[in-house]
Amino acid sequence: MTACNVLMTAFEDEPATPAAGEASPALERFLDRVARRALRMAELATGHRDEALDLVQDAMFGFVRHYAGRPDAEWAPLFWRVLDSRLNDWHRRQHARGRWWVPRSAGDESDPADFVPDPHEPGPLARLAGDEAARALEAALRRLPHRQRQAFLLRLWQGLDVSDTAKAMRCSEGSVKTHLSRALASLRRGLEDPR
Amino acid sequence: MNAPRDEEAWIGRAKALLDDSADALDAATLSRLNRARHAALAQRRRMPRTWALGAGIAGLAAAVFGVAIGLHHGLNRDVPTRSVPLQAADIELLTGDDDALDLSENLDFYAWLERQPGDSNG
Repeated sequence: MTACNVLMTAFEDEPATPAAGEASPALERFLDRVARRALRMAELATGHRDEALDLVQDAMFGFVRHYAGRPDAEWAPLFWRVLDSRLNDWHRRQHARGRWWVPRSAGDESDPADFVPDPHEPGPLARLAGDEAARALEAALRRLPHRQRQAFLLRLWQGLDVSDTAKAMRCSEGSVKTHLSRALASLRRGLEDPR
Repeated sequence: MNAPRDEEAWIGRAKALLDDSADALDAATLSRLNRARHAALAQRRRMPRTWALGAGIAGLAAAVFGVAIGLHHGLNRDVPTRSVPLQAADIELLTGDDDALDLSENLDFYAWLERQPGDSNG
């Protein structure tokens, strides 16, 4: 028997024990907890459920492969970071193919007057209280530039603090605040005037 | 001024709507999410064996390399190598300094030449 055969036999005989590589119940619970929100986030970014499912699955694989061994407290920003990376890659691919599914925003540049609320508007809360609330919110979120949408979803929906949001988006904390501020202004505007 | 309170209210409503949309996913989508999660976790269970197999192959390759190096040195050791000390004459022969040889062979001539008085060409 050659040395190689001995080596292979040794590995084949190794039982599938719950050693260092065993997925912990905590890891399983974490992925279960974030999966639905991750899918909604990917769906808002792509506009396609199937593509969103593929991206979330890819993010789960990447997260487990690279970060599952890290302390539990670090999992959330790291998982969202992996998903954000996948979403950025998806956007780059779409851009390269020249087929954005949604009209591109003019960027993050905005008129300062847009930040001033119109007292005659019913306001975003009224828009979100009606029967079409969910649809109006989804449309407004999809109109946001990707980085602004990510800042809003990670910081306010997922509840990450500014520091963890910055880690997830791989940018400075100042950039998170800027993206979030613009996202809120754009959402307010979009919900007040959803044309 | 109640703008901050309005802001908090509509953001809170937006978060609730997003939560509702995540909770209202259909069964087929939830099933696919579960399969994706299990596949990712199964990958983690396989990781140590894959890592160990890679390390084993790398170790085997290193051992083969070491044996090859050892054999190479062993073969080279069979070739006889002799160390012969070089003499000064050998160095002169190697450097091809013919004038030095002429000087040592004609010392008598140069001594006679030195003794000659009134060398007008000197």
